[in-house]
Amino acid sequence: MSAQPEPTPEVAWHGEAVTIGDVLNALNGIRRKFALADAGDEEHPHARNFVMTLVAVATSAVDERRAQRAFMAIAAHHPSLAIVVCQEPKVRSGRIDASITTHLLNPSSPDPAHCELVSLHVPGAAGEHLAALVDPLLLSGVPTYLWWLDTPPFGTKELSDALRICDALVVDSSRFDRPYHSFLGLADLALGSHNHMGVASFQWARLAPWRELIAQFFEPKERRTFMAGIAELGIDYVGDGRGNRIGAALLIGWFASALGWKLERAVGGAGGVGVAHFTVAGGRQLEVAFRSVPKSHLAQGEITAVRIAGASGGSTFRLSVQRDPERQYQVSADARPQEFLHRHHTGGEDDAGLEVAQRKAAQHREVVMRNREALHHTATGHLPGGPAYTSTVLARERRRAENPLVLLTMIDIGGAETLRHVQRVQAEDEATLLLELLSTGGRDVVYGRSLAAAAELIRAL
Amino acid sequence: MTEGAGANPLAEGLHDYRVADPLVMVIFGATGDLSGRKLLPAIYNLAKQRLLPAGFSIVGAAIDDLTEDAFRKHAADVITKFSRTQPVDADVLHTFLDEVFYIKVDFSKLDDFKALQRKVDELDHARHAGGNRVYYCATPPPTYETITEQLKDAGVTSSAGFHRIVVEKPFGSDLKSARELTQILQRVFHEDSVFRIDHYLGKETVQNILAFRFANSLFEPVWNANFIDSVQITAAEEIGVELRGAYYERAGALRDIVQNHALQLVALVAMEPPTAFDATAVRDEKVKVLRAIRPILDADLAKATVRGQYAKGWVLGEQVVGYREEHAVAPGSLTETFAALRLFVDNWRWANVPFYIRVGKRMPKRATEIRVQFKRPPHMTFDAAKDLDPNAITLRIQPEEGISLRFGAKVPSAGLRLRNVAMDFTYMSSFLVETPEAYERLLLDCMIGDPTLFTRADEVEAAWTFIDPIEAAWRDDRPPLTMYASGTWGSAAAERLIQADGREWHRP
Repeated sequence: MSAQPEPTPEVAWHGEAVTIGDVLNALNGIRRKFALADAGDEEHPHARNFVMTLVAVATSAVDERRAQRAFMAIAAHHPSLAIVVCQEPKVRSGRIDASITTHLLNPSSPDPAHCELVSLHVPGAAGEHLAALVDPLLLSGVPTYLWWLDTPPFGTKELSDALRICDALVVDSSRFDRPYHSFLGLADLALGSHNHMGVASFQWARLAPWRELIAQFFEPKERRTFMAGIAELGIDYVGDGRGNRIGAALLIGWFASALGWKLERAVGGAGGVGVAHFTVAGGRQLEVAFRSVPKSHLAQGEITAVRIAGASGGSTFRLSVQRDPERQYQVSADARPQEFLHRHHTGGEDDAGLEVAQRKAAQHREVVMRNREALHHTATGHLPGGPAYTSTVLARERRRAENPLVLLTMIDIGGAETLRHVQRVQAEDEATLLLELLSTGGRDVVYGRSLAAAAELIRAL
Repeated sequence: MTEGAGANPLAEGLHDYRVADPLVMVIFGATGDLSGRKLLPAIYNLAKQRLLPAGFSIVGAAIDDLTEDAFRKHAADVITKFSRTQPVDADVLHTFLDEVFYIKVDFSKLDDFKALQRKVDELDHARHAGGNRVYYCATPPPTYETITEQLKDAGVTSSAGFHRIVVEKPFGSDLKSARELTQILQRVFHEDSVFRIDHYLGKETVQNILAFRFANSLFEPVWNANFIDSVQITAAEEIGVELRGAYYERAGALRDIVQNHALQLVALVAMEPPTAFDATAVRDEKVKVLRAIRPILDADLAKATVRGQYAKGWVLGEQVVGYREEHAVAPGSLTETFAALRLFVDNWRWANVPFYIRVGKRMPKRATEIRVQFKRPPHMTFDAAKDLDPNAITLRIQPEEGISLRFGAKVPSAGLRLRNVAMDFTYMSSFLVETPEAYERLLLDCMIGDPTLFTRADEVEAAWTFIDPIEAAWRDDRPPLTMYASGTWGSAAAERLIQADGREWHRP
């Protein structure tokens, strides 16, 4: 977000144990007052110019504040209506506590703009009657986005009712509880959603710098043929457990869906090592390896490196993109115990370490291929055929405050010297990422197909 | 994106992904004002938006005897001062400066250009730039010929890859000099590789004129002489000539603004739908409009043109001096700082629709806008509607970029009273993205090789063909120069020009 100061909020109305009808009456009164404020007889009333309605569902006071902060930052530039729904313990049936906060943008301008933040504290689970709760408050003619800050109740009637009143659902799949199952729930939802509803995720938005750098490498005309010559793809990520593979799977799904790779089989081994086999154009086989590496400063599931190598037209090529290559890290205050973060050591960050890691990965693959049945036990600790493993990775540890990215790209083409290029990507706060997702209307066909391909891969592991 | 290579499947869906091939950009005049205020900050912001590829590098070339480190410090200083995004990100800047190099070049010395070639070749090899070069002439127009010839003689333009040259307006000072400039550039560069930059065309709101007209079915059916009464184009600045007095004495408002910015806006408003949004189709349609502008004959000069010069007055609450008291301006100067014109586009669509152009300095405020005024309804059903202003669409180019539509509405009451109301769209409040700086867009277009928003040689020539006779008459003091007080909307003669047609200037 730019440096423009956020608007100063003014609590315009507050009510306890009220109905949505009361909230609507209060809103109408506030809008009428704004329209007539400072408008002389010869002037037009101030026009209400909203660009969207953002409905945010929070299940805790912390999430409620997150939603309000993000909205305030966006509202500094874009007049809009936000309805933040926060669940409360069931103490009064059928009644809600509500407040309306207004913000005046460009107050000195002849056409000041106006934002509204409606906070609703509802008894019981926020999603139970969400559609009925917010529908009367929605604005006609502007898009409605539903931002579910926690894990949406995938597969429930409540969620599908809520989705009927919105144009796009925004989630952060890296914050999901039970990430494995929730991610598959998200993929099923995206697959089954009607054409006009978008599904967007912060986790996908955070992969954009990686996708850009990789796409840029293949951009020059003379390098386009390299895409068909990819022989190796490796992805490193942080954290154990299948829920932490989602970011890597999304990136692999992106490659596969963009380049027409067909998944043949995939296996996952202990310690976050996995391998997927694809058939690519011309019937050639391609092996994609991914593995967990320890990076104490990063949140679980973050991508740390992508390596691509191959040959085409008589020339070899190698692209390596590494995150934070030489940085001395400060472990943030909410970092998990070191023994948890460093459970699986696969080598360092330099090329020598990578070679060690690659040999380990190869050993894992061999084991996996010899005895796939035992793999489930190895990876999850459960007996083969036993109950499904449930990830217990906690959301708090899987999403930290946004860090700036430093991406080191190394390019080798033929025998020429290695080009090193450092890309510094500014830390993007939640409001900035949300703005990016909303600026496309929450619809991204590439995300949709990458999500589907990632889910296929995750299921196959 | 690479020309002719088809879409990059990995680029699909990437928000605002437009990336050039690796290249070396040489900026001539790299220590000058344009480079410092506009180019380096714009390129830094491209880097910040991750729009520059691995392998991109800048070579600053100027007469100053600087070390590479000294030039990098200069670059850091100007970026910190002039970047549109503030505060400047120290990490991004640090990384960006790793891609910035410098070499002293005396434009008159061939050996300096040979040294430049060696430096660029070394960088190219180390950074996989594929022989791709962009030469940006951030220098006065008289140097273009020397630079171009020296590049050719030093063999700089002979490597594999693309070679493009960027030149800044003015593109000549009349038709003859414009043609000479084109010939000079085309001796070394193909016309497709010549990028004549007019930063107005890089503004989002200017580009949006085409989107507004051709991406909507609502407006185009009424965008013609059957429904439109007149078009007004205003380009007003509150500032005076500041330190550009010497240049302005030679140029004047007609050559400085009307010949390029204003006529480009006329072309965009009046052009037929292009078959595609590509360089050839768009520029073909624009040049047709410019060629269709009816020449203003000698006999019509007094009725159709007004030239004015600002006298002292008050602007934005401050007293300011008149033009003749400005630095480097002759005390008896007859140079115009204000121009008003009425012109016609002689084609089927615009038959007899007047286009009024008004440009000037030291006006009450900075405002550029296009106002399309519609005809009144053929029959007045409501008596009360007689006092209504006609419908109008105003395209605000700057500031408060946006579009407003004026129409009549019934005032809520028992009687039938009508009043003008406006439907207003503003960029700032309607889009969830920030507007980039025009130079960022144009520099990236040039690196990518997309000349759609750059002026083609035939457009420049068509514009000068219209302007030259007016300019010649004005040099003969026909019509006489009129004075206007600073802080007003021009001289009374400009009011009379439009009032003679029964119309009034719209106040932006």
